[in-house]
Parts: sequence; structure tokens; C-alpha cells
Amino acid sequence: MSVTIHLPTALRKYCGGSADLPISASTIQAALRELQSTQPSLYVNLCDETGAVRRHLNVFVNSDHMRDRDGLDTALRDGDVVTILAAVSGG
Amino acid sequence: MAQKVVLTIGTKKGLFVAQSSKSRGKFDLRGPFGRGIPVYASLVDTRGKRPVIYAGSCNPFFGMKVLKSNDVGKTFEETKSAPSFAKEDGRALANIWSLEPGPDGEIWAGVEPASLFRSWDGGNSWEMVPGISNHEHARKWQPGAGGLCLHTILRDGERVHIGISTGGHYLSEDGGRTFAASNKGIGVGFAPDAFPEWGQCVHKIAGHPKAPGRFYIQNHGGFPDRPGIGVVRSDDHGHTWRSIAEGLPSDFGFPIVVHPHDPDTVYVVPLEPMSRTCPGGKPAVWQSENGGKSWKKLVKGFPKEKTFFTVLRDAMDIDDLKAPALYFGTTTGQLWIGKDGGEKWKCLFEALPPINSVKVSVV
Repeated sequence: MSVTIHLPTALRKYCGGSADLPISASTIQAALRELQSTQPSLYVNLCDETGAVRRHLNVFVNSDHMRDRDGLDTALRDGDVVTILAAVSGG
Repeated sequence: MAQKVVLTIGTKKGLFVAQSSKSRGKFDLRGPFGRGIPVYASLVDTRGKRPVIYAGSCNPFFGMKVLKSNDVGKTFEETKSAPSFAKEDGRALANIWSLEPGPDGEIWAGVEPASLFRSWDGGNSWEMVPGISNHEHARKWQPGAGGLCLHTILRDGERVHIGISTGGHYLSEDGGRTFAASNKGIGVGFAPDAFPEWGQCVHKIAGHPKAPGRFYIQNHGGFPDRPGIGVVRSDDHGHTWRSIAEGLPSDFGFPIVVHPHDPDTVYVVPLEPMSRTCPGGKPAVWQSENGGKSWKKLVKGFPKEKTFFTVLRDAMDIDDLKAPALYFGTTTGQLWIGKDGGEKWKCLFEALPPINSVKVSVV
């Protein structure tokens, strides 16, 4: 499936300044694996060493948070936009 | 070029760099670098032709970064990578707690969960030091309130001393290849066995190059039933330890610092153990000039009352000028300087973010 990864401003410096990365993946997990391979500097910002998505990051497929679908197994369709956002937290 | 005194101040909101002439009269402040991201450890590496500053930027959103400056803290850039565990290890880096010079130009990093990493190339790539990181006790260490941190790295020739909270003091006598728990005489107040083999909540370890084999520990004290376990000393390279806490108002505290020109002179900041603030609201740094046999308080310049600050384990340091000055930062954002070895105190900055660490270097 041809999908787009949309990145927050803070992470664009790790992939040459791109806000949107076109990739081919059938699930969110597969999309992250693809990023690990093609964008390793970006990937370490998204996932820790165990492969878990960092705790304060949110991953959406179009308008749905992945936790409200099938988590990392959420299926992707052609044209989907996977948006990665940092949680708004702290003091 | 005239020498400069450089302070690296790790705060909850990033790294600040303060700079002064040798007079230490006025400090200019730069930063924050790594804005908004906590910094617990920094290093001014003076071994090369020009000083290099490193700092651990502990980003809760995007993971750990190592910041590096080649222009004495005017600008910083991220190194190509930060310490990280192998995927099959199963651990994930949660914090960088210490950055120290290693042998042959290496940089060593102590991290959370308690492990040690080394870099040969100025922080661009890192490798785990397995002797301590995969020690047989490693999966049994328990985190203290600050997390399971490897916070102290002290090299003494082929010996390497490591401080872990909560794990204790570990000693290598083969350059860091293998380590053994070495806590004989270091007590705990939170377990039935007062003197276990390991598991101590060591807060900080300090030594002095002119006194090889002698080390001081600020341990987790403050237990009425086990008095005196909080401040201890070793004279045999850390194989055995004995209390030197008598005379202090509290044996609880975090930092411990040795005078750069006199290994008998040592400083601690006793805190009330429950609130972890100045006992009675009266701040004081305590100094021993005889290796811990007796202590006196240094209070000139501090408020006399109603002051309840906290000084964390890495938030006090001392420069190595002829008349050294002590520096400490508080979790309420004050940065203090104590000239003449702490005889005269003055607040340099009153309202920084909460301060985790302070390092000083003359460059």
C-alpha cells in the first residue's frame, strides 16, 4: 500500500527536512520497519531499542489513533496518511 | 588566551553555560541548549587542543541525545548517536546520568537503566561495557526515587569505581573489563540486612588523584536505627569503608566533593532525610579538613532561616584554581558560588529552572 508518513516539525531534521515521507507498507508495524531501514536517524526518535513506539508519541491513521484500531497491526490502505505527533505534556 | 571559568548547568529545561574570568566576579549566561529537555549530565573535556562540551539531553518524547559543543558552549549540535541497547538486550535507555573522560580520549556514559557505555569517536557511536552492564546483579538492581541510574564513574589507573543507585559501589581492577560489588562497610536502611553485599543506595562517590586508594561516598543515610551509614570513606581502593558521619547534622545528602589541592578536605550538603531540604530551613555546606574526623559548617552568605532547597547528587562541583570556589545548584533554580573553598557564598543566578547538575572547568 502506498501511504504517507506525516511528521511533526521537530523530527523533520532527521529526514532531510521532509514533512511527508511516501512509503509502501500494509500495517503501521510494517511502516515503522520500513522507516527503520530507510530512515534510521528518524526511526530512533519514534521507537526505543525494543521496538516499542516511544511513550509520549501518538500515531494516527488519518483521524484515528492507532490504539482505537488495531495498534501496530492496524491495516493501511492506499492513500492513508499516518501522522506522528508528540503528546502535549509536561510542566 | 586568558583562562576562563566555565560552568555547565544541567536543568529540567535544558543546558545552560555560564562563563567568567578567573576572578569569578561576574558570570555571563548562555542557553538553554536542548531547550525544554532535561539535562542530568555534562562534561567539559579539556584533554584536546580545545575544550569540548558534552551534555546528555534526555528527551522524553524522542529519546536520548548527546549534545556537543566545540566553541565552549556558544553552539551545540547533536552527535550522530546516543548510547543505546541492542534490541535483543530488552532494555531501553531512559536517561543519561554521567559523562566522564575515559582512557585514550574515550567518553564514558553512565545511563539508566544502570549500564555503562563508551565512545571512541567523540560521542558519534557508542558501545556497551558489558562487565558492569551485564553484571550478574544487573537485572536485580532496583531503582531509587531518581531511577535505576549509573551515576558515578571514577577512574584510578586500572581501577574503575562505579556508583549505582540502587546497586552500590562496584569496582574493576582490570580497566573496566570485569567488576565486583565492593560495599563492605556501606550500609542500607531499607532492608533487614544492614550491610548486604550489594544493593546500596550510593548517592555519589568522590576521590582525589593525590590520594590513590582513598574515596568518599555520600550514601543514602538518614535512618535513626542505623546512624552514620550516610557518609563513608575508604583507604584501600574501595574494598572496605567506614563511617565518617559523626559531627554532621544529618548523614543524608546527595553530593560529595573533594578539594582539588587537598584530599583531606571534603564537602557535603546535609539534608533533612524526609523532606530532603536544608535541616531546620538553615542552609549550610559542611566541610571536613581532616578526611572526615570532624566537620564544620560553612554558612557565610546563605540565608539564616526559612530556606528549604535541595541539592542533587551531581549539582555541586569545585574549580581547581589556586583559591578554589565551590558551586552548587538547587532544585529551586538557584546557582550558588562559594569562594575561598566555600567560606563566602553568593547566589549567582536566582531563578534558573530546577538544576540537576553542575560541572565547572577552567579552560
